[in-house]
Amino acid sequence: MHGWAVATAAVVAAGCATVGTLLVVRRLSLLGDAISHAVLPGIVVAVLLGARPGDPAVLGGATVAALVTVGLTRLVHRQGGVAEDASVGVAFTTLFAIGVLLVTVSGSRIDLDPGCILYGILELVPFDTVAVLGVELPRAFLSAAGVLLVVSLGLWLTWRWQVFTAFDAAAARAAGVPTAAVTVGLLVGVSLATVAGFEAVGAILVVAMLVVPAAAAELLVHRLQWVLLLAVCLAVGAAVGGYLAAWRFDTSAAGMMAVVLGLEYAVAVLVAPQEGLLARGSARLAYAWRVRCEDRLAALWRAEESATPAAASGHLVARLALRWLRLQGRVEATSDGYRLLARGRREAEQVVRSHRLWEAWLGRHAELPVDHLHPPAEWIEHHLGARLRQRIEQDLGRDAVDPHGSRIPPERG
Amino acid sequence: MMLPAILAFGLPYNTLVVAAGVAAVGGAAGVVGGLSVLRGRALSGDAAAHATLVGVAGALLATGQRSLAVLLAGGLVAAVAAVGLLVLIRRFTRTRDDAATATVLSVSFGLGIVLISGMVARGVPGSAGLERFLLGHTAALTASDALLLGLVSAAAIACVAIGLKEATMVAFDPAFAAAAGWPAAAIDMVLVALVAVMVVVGLPAAGAVLVTALVVIPPVAARQWTDRIVPLLAIAGVIGVVSGLAGVVISSLAPRLPTGPVVVLLAAGWLAVSLVVAPSRGLIARWRARRGPRPDAPSLVSGRDG
Amino acid sequence: MNLRPATESPASSSTGSIPLLEWHDLTVAYGRRPVLWNVDLEIASPCLFGIIGPNGAGKSTLLKASLGLVPVTGGSVRFWGEPLSRVRRRLAYVPQRETVDWDFPVSVMDVVLMGAASQLGWFRRAGRRERELAGDCLDRVGLTDLAGRQIGRLSGGQQQRVFLARALAREADIYFLDEPMAGVDAGSQEQIFAILAGLRDAGKLVVAVHHDLQTAARWFDAAALIDMRLVAAGPTAEVLTPENLEQTYAGRRGILDELGRAVARGVRTP
Repeated sequence: MHGWAVATAAVVAAGCATVGTLLVVRRLSLLGDAISHAVLPGIVVAVLLGARPGDPAVLGGATVAALVTVGLTRLVHRQGGVAEDASVGVAFTTLFAIGVLLVTVSGSRIDLDPGCILYGILELVPFDTVAVLGVELPRAFLSAAGVLLVVSLGLWLTWRWQVFTAFDAAAARAAGVPTAAVTVGLLVGVSLATVAGFEAVGAILVVAMLVVPAAAAELLVHRLQWVLLLAVCLAVGAAVGGYLAAWRFDTSAAGMMAVVLGLEYAVAVLVAPQEGLLARGSARLAYAWRVRCEDRLAALWRAEESATPAAASGHLVARLALRWLRLQGRVEATSDGYRLLARGRREAEQVVRSHRLWEAWLGRHAELPVDHLHPPAEWIEHHLGARLRQRIEQDLGRDAVDPHGSRIPPERG
Repeated sequence: MMLPAILAFGLPYNTLVVAAGVAAVGGAAGVVGGLSVLRGRALSGDAAAHATLVGVAGALLATGQRSLAVLLAGGLVAAVAAVGLLVLIRRFTRTRDDAATATVLSVSFGLGIVLISGMVARGVPGSAGLERFLLGHTAALTASDALLLGLVSAAAIACVAIGLKEATMVAFDPAFAAAAGWPAAAIDMVLVALVAVMVVVGLPAAGAVLVTALVVIPPVAARQWTDRIVPLLAIAGVIGVVSGLAGVVISSLAPRLPTGPVVVLLAAGWLAVSLVVAPSRGLIARWRARRGPRPDAPSLVSGRDG
Repeated sequence: MNLRPATESPASSSTGSIPLLEWHDLTVAYGRRPVLWNVDLEIASPCLFGIIGPNGAGKSTLLKASLGLVPVTGGSVRFWGEPLSRVRRRLAYVPQRETVDWDFPVSVMDVVLMGAASQLGWFRRAGRRERELAGDCLDRVGLTDLAGRQIGRLSGGQQQRVFLARALAREADIYFLDEPMAGVDAGSQEQIFAILAGLRDAGKLVVAVHHDLQTAARWFDAAALIDMRLVAAGPTAEVLTPENLEQTYAGRRGILDELGRAVARGVRTP
């Protein structure tokens, strides 16, 4: 019994995440939000006209409502002369209000109550069954599975077009892709997924299943097909996890699924490679540490070059950096301080080389007085790599002297 | 003189007071929403609106108090947190604004449902009543509740009136304002905070899902009638007032109707009318202009200013 | 017009006066990526000053950083020796036209009044003095007849003149303009230039980002060539030489671009 409820939720989630990925990538998330609200009157009208829940007529009614939403948005935008987001706001609240009103006014002729509209009745799904090849299957599961099949097929068939339109709609249109049809197809897919999700999780939480999996996935991977697959996995995981958590804590399953999706997003923000908070934080720390170490090496090298003793550094971090360099075999401790070892000397040389090359380049190509060249070089000496150094040296020509007259150390592999 | 006409509906005094309170909310929401729509932030309140549910439920859970003031205070905290979350997402992630709004909106709503559902399952007193914040239900409001709503609304309108110069300057051209030394970002945040307040105060009337309409529809309707800011805000306010008033009256005559959809549809009706009949921008006016001068009109050429 | 690199302290300069505007080693980054590197320049006296360079070179950024609209990563900007916060009253800004929603329900007069009112204190409204000033500024740009028109119903040149009138209404001493001639017909361009020249003759400093080399040579007294760094600065005739232009427009910028990306990520370039 629980099994069917979870299975239905999982299938709904997969279908929503599939179309939802394209919505997110095309910045149409709010349109998805709008459609999930606006399909209500479509469903209600279909039911009032005699369709049973799960009939294709209901799906049809929802799709019509979705298209009406888009049309209404455009009407208010063009005719009313207001921004697009205001128009979307007008359209979906109006249509949703009509839907709720119809439900309330129709009373017993419809067995939907406002709560169900907003957060679904997953618990009842396993009990409303249909016989298929002699097996009793929940009707909602069948619709959701059917929708998943249809949207997956549709997406697979039009994949190239969808990707192109998502990436650059204008170029796609110029290249002959029927972008209007592609978009309409996407919106139809969204309506189908929304209706399938209505019964399981209700209008608002369908939005969570449409948008959040893709929002999380796109932080973690970059190619569209991987975003899609990851989004589906995250959505199914949230469906299962949310259901279990709701069972454990005796609360709404639909709400829990949304909460789990939110947690997945939060985790993605933290652990995303390169852009995630953890990655950024550790990259900053690593950079700060590298700068300290390189500064110590360069100071020792300059002391060697001018044959003066290196100034003892009182700063704690500087002393720690020197200890670390010693551990790494780049410097060794002597009676009056530290001394560069071969590896350390090579590295220090490249830092000083970067510094002096940059001073020379900036002095030549920017209008800066000579005594202003040192601070920027102090900073850039940590960022110039071998290839760029060679390019700069080529650009400067064969004079290997920096603006203060010091020799620029050569490149050492 | 007006009073006997209204009382002829047979409505009790309490309902009239509530209607006045909700009317005030509608008016203030229209005014605040006017600035917000002009600033290009029409849906900035949507995430905040859905998040209020968490705050309302949380307030009940934390304090056990059922008074409207306490619940709405909780809602305000959550609304502000939602807006703050959006700012953080914009600052620290690649996620685009529309996806961020949809995420915060739906996840916070889900959390709110989890709290309410959990409380109802455990029989926490008062939790069943929280459902009215989903779609709005004014029947349960008392006269003192209405007073609270009215006062907050009046304060919001006063803020807009006092700071109109600053708000308009920042809404029109934040770069110019900032260059001139005005704290454009802070003034912007005050506007967003006002929207959050209106969204919270609109909860009893329209519910979390539809309260955005109070802030969006009246300004869009008002824009059809005028090209100046003060008339725009005034008309938006009037439309909000009328919609709120009529909404309460109608839904008290039909107690099964949740108030939210009624108020929204009334405002939408005003919008539809405005789109059609407004002078110079309306459909009828544009159709007339396209048709051009009538063929049998007398020649307008006069020899005087040759 | 007396331009010189900002090495000599004002005390040691020949005239001994404080420069109107001084960029000192100004470095600006978007996020963590530097886009303007170590701009160092002084403008000592009122003139019509052009900031010229290719697209994406950081010209607008230089303006915005000077006005505090974009954070400064390194170095500083000073006006009459003072930091920005002390002298805002004496500055005026004309941003690019695309930054504004021209559907906004305000009239031409409303916009110019915003300029006058921007000098008033918190919650103070524009009064008779401001209205007269605004009317005056509208007159100077030749838009008095259009005072009541909603701004969306103006031509490009008229919109630019509204912005200019708004800036004039601040009665400032230094005017910053971002591409004032972009998308403006030739006739209006000459009109606008005449107004700017009038400002200069009245002793104001006018700093404008400009994209057209031909007209730059004709209109500006002095110029700075910018391509993510200051390539050259000085009297227009001396600055707009083939060598300098080649330096600016032939893209030595690739090095700075690559470096900027590496700096943003805290790593060395490959």
